[in-house]
Amino acid sequence: MVGAVQTPRGRARSLTGSGTMTGFLLSVRFILRRNWLQLALWAAVLAVMIPVVYDSQQQAFPTQAARDAYAQVANTPAVAAMTGLPYAAGSLGGILVIKIWMTLAVALSFASVFLVTRNGRADEETGRSELLKSSVMGRHAYSAANYVVAGALSIVSGLLISLLCLSVRLPTAGSLLMGASIAGTGLAFVGLAAVCGQLSSTSRGTNSLGVGLIALFYFIRAGADLQSNGVDPAALSWFSPIGWAQNMRPFGQDTWWPLLALLALAVGGCVMALRIETNRDLGMGLLPERRGPARASAFLREPVGLALRLQRGSLLGWLVGAVVAGAFFGGVAQAMTNALDPSNALAKSFVGSSSSMLDGVLGIFALVNGLLAGAFAVQSLSTARSEEEAGRLEAQLAGALSRYTWLGAHVLVAAAGSGLMLLIGGYLAGASSNGAATGSAMAGASLAYWPAVLLMMGVLLFLNGFLPRFSVSLTWAVYGISVLVSMFGALFSLSEAAIAATPFGAVPRLPAENFMLLPLLVLSVLAVALAILGVWQFRRRDLASE
Amino acid sequence: MAVNTVAIEVSGLHKKFGRTTALAGLDLQVEQGTVAGFLGPNGSGKSTTIRILLGLLKSDGGSATLLGGDPWRDAVDLHRRIAYVPGDVSLWPNLTGGQAIDILSRLRGGVDNALRDSLLERFELDPTKKARSYSKGNRQKVALVAGLASNAELLILDEPTSGLDPLMEQVFTSCIREVKAEGRSVLLSSHIFAEVEKLCDTVTIIRDGRTVESGRLDALRHLHRTTVSVVLDRDAAILASVAGINDLVLDGANATFTVGEAELGAVLLALSAYAPRSLLSSPPSLENLFLRHYAGTGLGAVDATAPGSTSQIAGAQ
Repeated sequence: MVGAVQTPRGRARSLTGSGTMTGFLLSVRFILRRNWLQLALWAAVLAVMIPVVYDSQQQAFPTQAARDAYAQVANTPAVAAMTGLPYAAGSLGGILVIKIWMTLAVALSFASVFLVTRNGRADEETGRSELLKSSVMGRHAYSAANYVVAGALSIVSGLLISLLCLSVRLPTAGSLLMGASIAGTGLAFVGLAAVCGQLSSTSRGTNSLGVGLIALFYFIRAGADLQSNGVDPAALSWFSPIGWAQNMRPFGQDTWWPLLALLALAVGGCVMALRIETNRDLGMGLLPERRGPARASAFLREPVGLALRLQRGSLLGWLVGAVVAGAFFGGVAQAMTNALDPSNALAKSFVGSSSSMLDGVLGIFALVNGLLAGAFAVQSLSTARSEEEAGRLEAQLAGALSRYTWLGAHVLVAAAGSGLMLLIGGYLAGASSNGAATGSAMAGASLAYWPAVLLMMGVLLFLNGFLPRFSVSLTWAVYGISVLVSMFGALFSLSEAAIAATPFGAVPRLPAENFMLLPLLVLSVLAVALAILGVWQFRRRDLASE
Repeated sequence: MAVNTVAIEVSGLHKKFGRTTALAGLDLQVEQGTVAGFLGPNGSGKSTTIRILLGLLKSDGGSATLLGGDPWRDAVDLHRRIAYVPGDVSLWPNLTGGQAIDILSRLRGGVDNALRDSLLERFELDPTKKARSYSKGNRQKVALVAGLASNAELLILDEPTSGLDPLMEQVFTSCIREVKAEGRSVLLSSHIFAEVEKLCDTVTIIRDGRTVESGRLDALRHLHRTTVSVVLDRDAAILASVAGINDLVLDGANATFTVGEAELGAVLLALSAYAPRSLLSSPPSLENLFLRHYAGTGLGAVDATAPGSTSQIAGAQ
């Protein structure tokens, strides 16, 4: 485009055009500056999985004979449902796809959704883009820059993945398609997230829509992979962009053309989003803003009612997640046990020292339930912190509300919600397991993780008292380390004592291990002690709003 | 002085945030049944003082008494008797304005439904809209309705009209007059001189965390000089010899000068001898009082009162 108006900054304008894309390059630089660390981390972590997983698989299946034997048993419903229908399982490339492709593709999709929302709808919601758009900046420049940067993450990640595949001497075409299919999935979700950002008027709503789409398309392709004829997935697979990317089959048929469909979805989504953006008012979404009740119910006026109302959406989402996960775990428990080779050291380290592989698998499911509930509890309780940060706590405490009552309401919601998740998820895992375990046994096995969940809350409450500004991020760090150690500690050859010294590792892994009361008591006492200290300090400190 | 005649009594209040000193010996008094203006430049410590009074921050020194109680220790009980309107209202984005009003009112021990409805009408606020779609002014109205719908003995208002249009400001003014007529007390922090002059009985001006001037508004006026502009029938230079005239500025027959309250009568008598064709007298405005104290902070002009020296004026009546 040609600069139509001569201005003192004419040179700068002619560099970037003067139409709806004026300021595009500046926006790209600005977004890169705000997100470079996040972008670099995503790309590095995704790419580095390739050599790590390749190495472990090479050790697990060192000979062609071992790989051929694996190919005979690779195709189980559990594997098909979770990571896609196996193909070419007799080659290292094919095994790499089974082990890591789905994880990378879904992770990149999440990254795309979060990035597009963070620099799109979230900026608009907080009024930052209003400030930007009032300056010399074209209507589409900032949004287009956002989509381009998010798309660049997919492309760079895909290139790195391809290069690392080539570096371990995997076949060239398969290596290129491995990167291209994962990048294509990420790009498709950039396009979808761009549209989501136009539909909803909040960043929360945008993220929910985007994550909902990832889940929807994941389950569509899971259904297609389960209904396969053993060689190809069912036609349903073509109703999901994740399915399109899977059907590129790197290291198998090496089909290129589904990439075009993924790119078309990416470009189509972004163009549609820009067109919607032109036709709507700043700050508004296509989905209508609904009116609400003019009065608050008696329950909402209570501190607990308000805390529950603020987290209603997220609590429902987590409960649905617990239901889906529980039913899924129960359904695949038997199949997964059959698929695992008891002599495989990897499988052994994963399911623990139990003599029964089935109990080991059930124990893992209980642990995953516990970790999910832990994540909910931390997220739920951090609402208390965001209420304080946003200044809404100030208005509440200016009323006749004690700090204890207010914080207690938030603790109650997080504690009760996580307990409910454990019960429901555990019960369903048992009830849907075709007799592998009873509902109540699995509910009990899951509930054993409640003290560990409470300890996570204790950590957050403690930090909220003493280091409020960093409390949420530090708690997530503690949680993340606990997840890694309890899930993969054995894989990293950590000692059992070291694993047992972490919150989730300390819990007896029922039904694989025997029930022990002592660790649960220790976790509970620690949780309560940290909570009391944190709450006591919270009562004494100044409120810290932004 | 009996405890129950004073709504707020603050003396020598100190507060530090890390190395920054927010309050360095602040004094503030609000008598029951009066409206007290609380003025000071941005960052002078008004909101910090209010947050200490609300028990949200803990003071580092000095004393503060709210309705006879300790604002930190007795926070919950005291808050049943007060209403607070912040200047920057943050609401729950996915609740409606009406729900927010009810939640905030409930925390003050309930809401007077008839009063709530009439306030919604007077402030022209739609309570069914989600808070995220409210403008700054509408968010302010939510806090005002919630605060005014209570029967609190003491209202603490921190720049309550920021973002309101002039019509709504009038509604606010009449609401505060009604509150005062009921014998309730108000602490009004504000930047709007007209609002303070209309509503307040007493004024406290602070700077850099200290009180620099406080007293009844009418008494403060007495302390400062009236500005007079005259046009005489001759060269106004003749006024230079008249006792009691200060700050004389001459321009032919025109003259502008200031005169103290005590000398006003004598000066007027002297003026009458020169057959003035026009005479304009302006009483010392709050703005003048205020700018005198503001001046030293950023404008580099005359600093009338050294920081820390407090001119306390006894009540006029």
